[in-house]
This record gives sequence, structure tokens and C-alpha cells, in this order.
Amino acid sequence: MTALAPPAELRRGLEYWWRSYRMMLRWEMTSLRLVLPVTIMVQILSGAGFVLALGIFFGQVPPRAALFVSTGVLVLTLVTIGLVLGPQLIAQQKAEQTYEFLWSLPVPRTTAALAWVTTNFILGLPGMAVALVVALLRYDLDLHVSPAIVPAVLLTLFTGTMIGYAMAHALGNPMLIAAITQLLIFMILGFSPINFPAEQLPDWLAALHRWLPLAPMADTVRAGLTVGVVEDVTRSYLVLGAWAAASVGVTAAVLGRRG
Amino acid sequence: MTALALAPTAMRRGAGYWLAGFRAMLRFDLASSRAWLATFVTVQVLMGAGMAIIYGFYLGDMPPAAATFLATGAPTLALMPLGMALLPSLIASRKIEGTYDFMWSLPVPRTATAASSFTIFTLLGLPGVAVSLAVAGWRYDLDLRVSAWVVPAVLLASLMSASVGFGIGHAVPDPAITNVITNLLIFVVLMFSPISFPIENFPGWLAAAHHVLPFWHMANVVRDALTDGLVDSVWRSYLVLGIWTVGTWLLAAWAIRRRR
Repeated sequence: MTALAPPAELRRGLEYWWRSYRMMLRWEMTSLRLVLPVTIMVQILSGAGFVLALGIFFGQVPPRAALFVSTGVLVLTLVTIGLVLGPQLIAQQKAEQTYEFLWSLPVPRTTAALAWVTTNFILGLPGMAVALVVALLRYDLDLHVSPAIVPAVLLTLFTGTMIGYAMAHALGNPMLIAAITQLLIFMILGFSPINFPAEQLPDWLAALHRWLPLAPMADTVRAGLTVGVVEDVTRSYLVLGAWAAASVGVTAAVLGRRG
Repeated sequence: MTALALAPTAMRRGAGYWLAGFRAMLRFDLASSRAWLATFVTVQVLMGAGMAIIYGFYLGDMPPAAATFLATGAPTLALMPLGMALLPSLIASRKIEGTYDFMWSLPVPRTATAASSFTIFTLLGLPGVAVSLAVAGWRYDLDLRVSAWVVPAVLLASLMSASVGFGIGHAVPDPAITNVITNLLIFVVLMFSPISFPIENFPGWLAAAHHVLPFWHMANVVRDALTDGLVDSVWRSYLVLGIWTVGTWLLAAWAIRRRR
């Protein structure tokens, strides 16, 4: 462990931060090695599963429905790990009492957070790619990929991961975290306008989703893949940005506190 | 617990002894159900009513026929997780906790223990079924024609589901594998089963598989009791469900009788 500096060395500066980030990334990937294959398999299965199941729901799939699901599953694979698996892992650390140990590691806390965001990106990519390929093979999609997909994917991933992160760190009780994440899966898959248009939800729920982060995530990603489907993407970026900033703020407040 | 306190000299056989064992096990199972009953009903209503509503979001505007089909799938979706997912996980968790062997050491006939499980799980599913059907019917504004056939249909579907779950729970030795199987079952049932969607929507090979698997037949018998003219030759579905029930009883019998 040469990267662990002797105590005399100054612990600051960009190089120290970068080295810590790389170590934390390696730490995250190593500690996930048992869950990793299963998680990626579940991501691939559920991503491709949704795309294919739509054909069974409809029989004859309307092109608009196919377009919504095919772009929606990308968002699902991007955020489910950050919003669902992430908090569960942290809850587990709290239950096993390894949580305190992790924060005693001599690295800046921002590196731990960013390493987790990066891990989410690596975990999400295979599922995303497979879902997109399956969608392209199965449906005759009218996709127009624009450069806007890059900031959309990055902001969606970052916001989703940080909301889960803030929630897991701010809430003390592991059982509560587990219950919330179970409910979240249900909300994300069934009651959010990610895989289907918002007008298919009851009005009050659609109105609520204008202020929650899930619909803006789907809108920004969808806007980067299609033309003429999403209106007012600027608003979505603003809402999403606000959620990102708020979750970073909460995380910083919780982690900055000394126990 | 008088039934468990038979003096060692008493004769341990006969219908009276079996009935006493059955009653004792029923009481035992009911008492232990306090811990998970609330979770069960929640899961059932989420699966049944929740999925009926969620499928509607995915489909958007539906003709009344499609809405009827969807809503009459709700009771089946509410039944399925109870027997096929929660019962095997319960057995698996007993294996993990080490109380599994204790259960079998109780001085009651093993058939009485099994019969008690079937009774409890068949009956506990019913409230969730009724709630799911009511919510789905209200959401899609249906007027359903409930016939007396709903009683045998729901009971058989529930019993079959509990039997399959009982068989899986006891026959699969590793609890981790049991959990993988039940998760996979739920995934397949929610995404790829002709419970809420017509079997005509399915690719040929999958439709053929669903003629043998129990899910489509469960939905058929329940739907037949709730509607007119949506289901053909329902007797075949009753027959297939009967075969699954008895078949998984045999599987469970083989697994339970095995001595280690």
C-alpha cells in the first residue's frame, strides 16, 4: 500500500485528491466483486425484459410506446443502482458496523462520493447498452442521437446516485432505508413517467412529477435521443440541477458533521 | 398445547390423532403468522391492485375489453406471490435459522403439517384477492358478473400456488437457490405471463410453454368465474391446475420423507 502516505507528508492538493479517488474507486469495485456479476445480470435482464415485455403488453406495439420504453429503460439502468442498491449497501454497512471504519480512511470524503458515482456509471453501462441494442433489434425506432445525450446521461446518473447517497447517509435506521428503497423501485417502475408518457398518469400525479427528479431525468435523456418528443427540456435541466445541488448539500452536511 | 402433550404410551395413529396434530399445527402456523401477515397482505395488494394500475399506465387508453382483461388478472396476481414466493422464502428462512429441523421433530404426522400449511396459505390469500379485485374493478369502472364458480376457482388456484411453493421450499436444499427461483418467478410472472394480457400476444413458443405452466390456467379459471365469454374450455385449465397440485404434493412427499 504505497499510496498510504507517511504522516509527515502534506495531505492536500490535486495530486493527493486524485490518488485518493483512484484508491476509493478500486476499493468500491473490490468490495462489490461478489454483488457485481449478479447486479449487472439483473440490470441486463430487467432492461432487455422491459423492452421485450412491451410487445406482450400490447400485441401490436404503437411506435410512440416503443420509443418511450426504449429510451426509458436507459434511465432505469442509470438510476436504479444509485437510488436502490446504493442505499441498501450503505444500510448494510451501518448494520454491520463497518460504516465508521470507511469514514476513518485517510482520503478526502469527496473522493469517496465521486468514486461511488463512477462505480455506478461502470455498473450501469452494460445494462444500458444491451437494452438499447435489444430495443433497436426489436422495434423500428426513430432515434436521433444528439450531443445533448452526454450531459443528460451524466447529470441523470450524478443526480440519481447523489439522491440515494444523501438519503442513505442522512437516515440512521437501516430498516427504514430498506423499506424506502423497496417503495422506490415500485414508484420508479410503475408510477413515474419514465417508460410511458406523463399524460397516461392521473393529472395530480403528473403534476407532482414536474417537481420530482424522475420525470426530468427521463425528459433530458429522451431529448438527447429523439426529436420532437420532449418539450421544454430547459426546465427539466433546471429541476434536475436543483435536486443534484440539494442532495450534494445534504450529503455534505451529514458527512461534514463530526460524530 | 394439549395436542402436543400426548403421553408417550398413547397410540400415535388413527384419524383422531391425525386431526389433533392438524389442529395443533394450524394453531402453531397461525400464531407464527402474526410476524408476517401484515407484510403478506401489503405485498398481495401491491402485486394485484398495484400491477393492474401500473399496466394501465403502460397501455394508456384502452378499449373496455382490454381493461376487463387486465382487471380480472389482478386477483391471480395477488394470489401468486403468496404461495409461490412467500411460502418458499418462509421455508428457506427456517432452513437458514435452523428451526426447520425442529419443525419436523414435532410429534405430529408430516401430512398434518403439510395440510396445515396448505390450509393457512390457501385461506390467508383470500382477503388480498378480494381487495385487489375491488380496486382494479373500481379503477377501470367495470361491472363484473361474479358467478359461484369463483369459490372453486380461487380456492384451487390458491391451493395450487401454495402446493408449488411448498414443493419448491422443501425440495430445493439450498435456501439461496430458493430465493433466486422465487425472484425469477415473480419477474417472469409480471413481465411474461398471460395473466393480464391475452395469450395471443405471446410468441408461439412462449404461448406453448404457458399451456403447460400453471400461470395462464390460474388466470383462466379466475377470469371465467368473473366474466362471460372471455375464456374457452375452462375445464382444461381446472385439469392442469389439478395436475400441478397433485404433482407438487408428490414432490413434497418425496422431499419430506427423505431422511438425512
